[in-house]
Amino acid sequence: MTEQTSIPSGDNRELKESVSDRKISWLERVLGPENYRIIKGLFKTPASIVGFILILTFILVAVFAPLIAPPVGKDPYKIPRDGFGGEPKAPGSPWKRNVPEIPFWYKTLTGKDEWVHLLGTAQGQYDIFYGIIWGTRTAFKTGLFVVVVTVAIGVIIGSVAAYYGGWIDNFLMRVVDIFMTLPYIMMALILSAVLTPLWGRSLMPPLIAMITFGWMGYARIIRSDILSIKNRDFVMAAKVSGVKNSRTLFKHIMPNAIFPTLVLASLGIGDVVLSFAALSFLGIGTEVGYADWGQVLSFSRNWITSLDKYWYIVVYPGIVLTLFVMGWNLVGDAMRDVLDPRMRGKS
Amino acid sequence: MTEKNDVLVKVKDLKMHFPILRGVIQRQVGAVKAVDGISFDIHRGETLGLVGESGCGKSTTGRTILQLYEQTSGHVFFEDKELNALRPEEMRQMRKKVQMIFQDPYASLNPRMTIRDIIAEPLVAFGAVSGKEINDRVRELMSLVRLDPDFMSRYPHEFSGGQRQRIGIARALANNPSFIVCDEPISALDVSIQAQIINLFEDLQKELDLTYLFIAHDLSMVRHISDRVAVMYLGIIVELADRNEIYRNPLHPYTKALLSAIPVADPEYYEGHTRTVLEGDVPSPANPPSGCRFRTRCPIADEQCAVARPEFREVLPGHYVECFKVNVPEQEKEVI
Amino acid sequence: MTNYIIRRLLMVPLLLIGVTLIIFGMLQFLGPVERSALYMKDFPKNDKQVEGIIRQYGLDQPFLVQYWKWLTGVKDPVTGEMEGGVLRGQFGYSRTASQPVVDIIRNRFPNTLDLALWTVFPMLSVGIWMGVKAAVNQNKAFDQAARIYSIIGTSFPTFVFGLLLLMFFYAKLKWFLPGRMSDWVNQLIYSGNFKSYTHLLTIDALLNGRFDVFWDALRHLIMPIMTLSYINWATYVRVTRSSMLETLRMDYVTTARAKGLLERDVVNKHARPNAMLPIVTMMGSSIVGLLGGVVITETVFNYPGIGKAAADAAAQLDVVTVLGMGIFTGLILIVSNLIVDVMYAFIDPRVRLN
Repeated sequence: MTEQTSIPSGDNRELKESVSDRKISWLERVLGPENYRIIKGLFKTPASIVGFILILTFILVAVFAPLIAPPVGKDPYKIPRDGFGGEPKAPGSPWKRNVPEIPFWYKTLTGKDEWVHLLGTAQGQYDIFYGIIWGTRTAFKTGLFVVVVTVAIGVIIGSVAAYYGGWIDNFLMRVVDIFMTLPYIMMALILSAVLTPLWGRSLMPPLIAMITFGWMGYARIIRSDILSIKNRDFVMAAKVSGVKNSRTLFKHIMPNAIFPTLVLASLGIGDVVLSFAALSFLGIGTEVGYADWGQVLSFSRNWITSLDKYWYIVVYPGIVLTLFVMGWNLVGDAMRDVLDPRMRGKS
Repeated sequence: MTEKNDVLVKVKDLKMHFPILRGVIQRQVGAVKAVDGISFDIHRGETLGLVGESGCGKSTTGRTILQLYEQTSGHVFFEDKELNALRPEEMRQMRKKVQMIFQDPYASLNPRMTIRDIIAEPLVAFGAVSGKEINDRVRELMSLVRLDPDFMSRYPHEFSGGQRQRIGIARALANNPSFIVCDEPISALDVSIQAQIINLFEDLQKELDLTYLFIAHDLSMVRHISDRVAVMYLGIIVELADRNEIYRNPLHPYTKALLSAIPVADPEYYEGHTRTVLEGDVPSPANPPSGCRFRTRCPIADEQCAVARPEFREVLPGHYVECFKVNVPEQEKEVI
Repeated sequence: MTNYIIRRLLMVPLLLIGVTLIIFGMLQFLGPVERSALYMKDFPKNDKQVEGIIRQYGLDQPFLVQYWKWLTGVKDPVTGEMEGGVLRGQFGYSRTASQPVVDIIRNRFPNTLDLALWTVFPMLSVGIWMGVKAAVNQNKAFDQAARIYSIIGTSFPTFVFGLLLLMFFYAKLKWFLPGRMSDWVNQLIYSGNFKSYTHLLTIDALLNGRFDVFWDALRHLIMPIMTLSYINWATYVRVTRSSMLETLRMDYVTTARAKGLLERDVVNKHARPNAMLPIVTMMGSSIVGLLGGVVITETVFNYPGIGKAAADAAAQLDVVTVLGMGIFTGLILIVSNLIVDVMYAFIDPRVRLN
């Protein structure tokens, strides 16, 4: 081979002058340059920053729940009840029975010595504050569980369809079509109702129902992304270079295809929590008194005529739920904006 | 130019038809006959230029030869081994010897990989493991294509089109191939860079004893780099000859029309010559004309041309034409 | 285009089979006795009857056998007649509502339809109008407000919004009411002085010339309509806005302006029709979604449509009823999706000219 030192061809000279030595951060190396730019883009708009702050706040609340609302009794997910009275009590009313211990922050923030129902109670004397704090954990648990499983199912089905093509692809996509025709809430109702006698009143029936009818979107997205990546030159170049098919799939196709799916998934957490709250509100799934936002909201169904009097049963959990979903939606919107012109346009 | 007797690549009656699926159950109603029966040889060390209009099938030819598409019929031989008959793993091993350079420098490099990884990928695919070994080889290759090896940890988007094309070339050279299909490698580049890359191709050919199938639609560029030139139209080769011979003495009506379209920077030239302008549009490759493919636009076609497809025959030494109207040995000498 | 339509039509039986299979399949988690209610027309008289059903419909036999019998019905061993079967309209007996499921559907569906009818126009028009206006006034006050609205709107859970409406407009102000009709209207209908031509209360009220009934019906409909609309507005604002913005950036719009056209005409005649194409697809699925039985909204407002019927049954684990609702809704969705897709084929030139 001829020995070459850096030959100043026109290209090289320009490159040396225009681009100074750039330090590539480890994050960029891990994610890849395209994805790194996407992540950076997420933090640019005020809307997405607000979203991140919201999400972070909720994470903190969930993590520190035992400190914020010390558990009464063994199961912290059973909302503590101040007796069994039927009439909801307003925020600030004193807490007489089943009183939790006083957390460290209580005296300084409220100036009181004894527990009061900070946000009031619903009928049956369920404390709303506790319902909301521990409901945050429920929201994360259910949201993450459902999203992870639905993404996994969707990615597997979509990848198989895209990779094998032919009748397998056709068949799987018809299955997706059929599932997508089904009305989501109806189906979730049916499946929950069927599974509840088997499982008992727990979180699982509605979660399984949501998973069964929620994976289709991901399957479609990953399939179309893989199909469009499959035809890009660098995939063909890998084949020409002698790279084995399996390695091409994992090293070239998947990393480029999966990122948009992950974006959609993160938006999905908000939707999942919303749907789950709706199901709880309808009375499906969680037992009465479980720490879940939808559950607390369902208490308001008994007081429709006097909702103005018992507004706190609706307003507090309602605001919390809205803020949670809003946080995820803001971040998801920002992600969508960053992704759209770039990735979709490119293929 | 080197030995012409040693045939490296032999293509025989190659056909590549893409099925058209229509209707409710997606049954095949026809086919896009992208490549419809072509034959030629490429000798060791030579550059065979393959030219034609967009959509004539030249890119498909290149990819089919490399078995990126499964051909509909015909044979492709490399060093006397029939490529289409090899088992997948055997073909994969052949990829050390036959390579491709792609047209689009932006799409042919994985944006998520550093160029070190991109260039090293062919090495890794065949078992290279040691980091130092790989790095040394990558440096070597980058110097070969006149890229500063210090840039190897950067990403494709940080480079210009011409540089990215060089990266693609370096990748193709990784395993010391002997045959490279160059699929319009300069079409996507700025004109000023095109010349540089062409020169690089020529230098590399000398240094590494490479054989090229050079696919392009720029006739003047092809003239510069090729030893022989094949002209394609609607999936078939209409003429194949030495470079000088074909530019000096084009025999097929299509080749004549193509060459007459090359602009000459001399106003006086045009006083003595008329430009042959082809009438009509290129027919669809899904529905090519019966008989001679070119007859619908040919100024000298007659009834004979509609009946059967002419034979691809050698009318002069080394000069092949597919046309009824070209008769041995009379030809009008036109000086271009 | 005909190809597209034919292929679309052929999907229908496939979808029907698939949907019914899946829904029926979910039932298999239950035991034969519970499932027997699916095949009954009336409250079971005794255990023997239940056993008979189990045997007749093969509730202990393989899945496909059951599926077939459930669909087509069985031959009564005594009379030799065919009876039962979903295809014959036999959806089973509802334990919780004490009536055959088809009766529930027959009684409740007109209510859902009534609500859907009155929601379509407000839902679509306001959202699209806002989106267009926001795009045309990009980054000005209206746009900023619209964007904030779209973010909040899509985050607000329907039932929370509904509850807030109830809290304000019902509990406090008593302007609008939940449910379907006031007591006096109910009595009026039962008295026989009110002819139900279409079973759509609003239309019937007009046909009967009773504007007081009409107004009462509206008072009950307004809150559900607003609830269904607001979230769609938020979505439509966003989609319309971005579609309009993209269209306004196009070269042919700049050309139109350069020709000297009034801005108003540029927007209305050139930009908007083209921006509308993706919106039209959305409109189709929104309308379809309305028919699907808006379970949550109906439940919040105690509105007796098929959505609420399904929710009530599900809460009491009355699977048979929910199943019947599911099948019915699935059917409606398949048909309306088909109509929307076919209409879309006429609109989108890419499909039309193939």
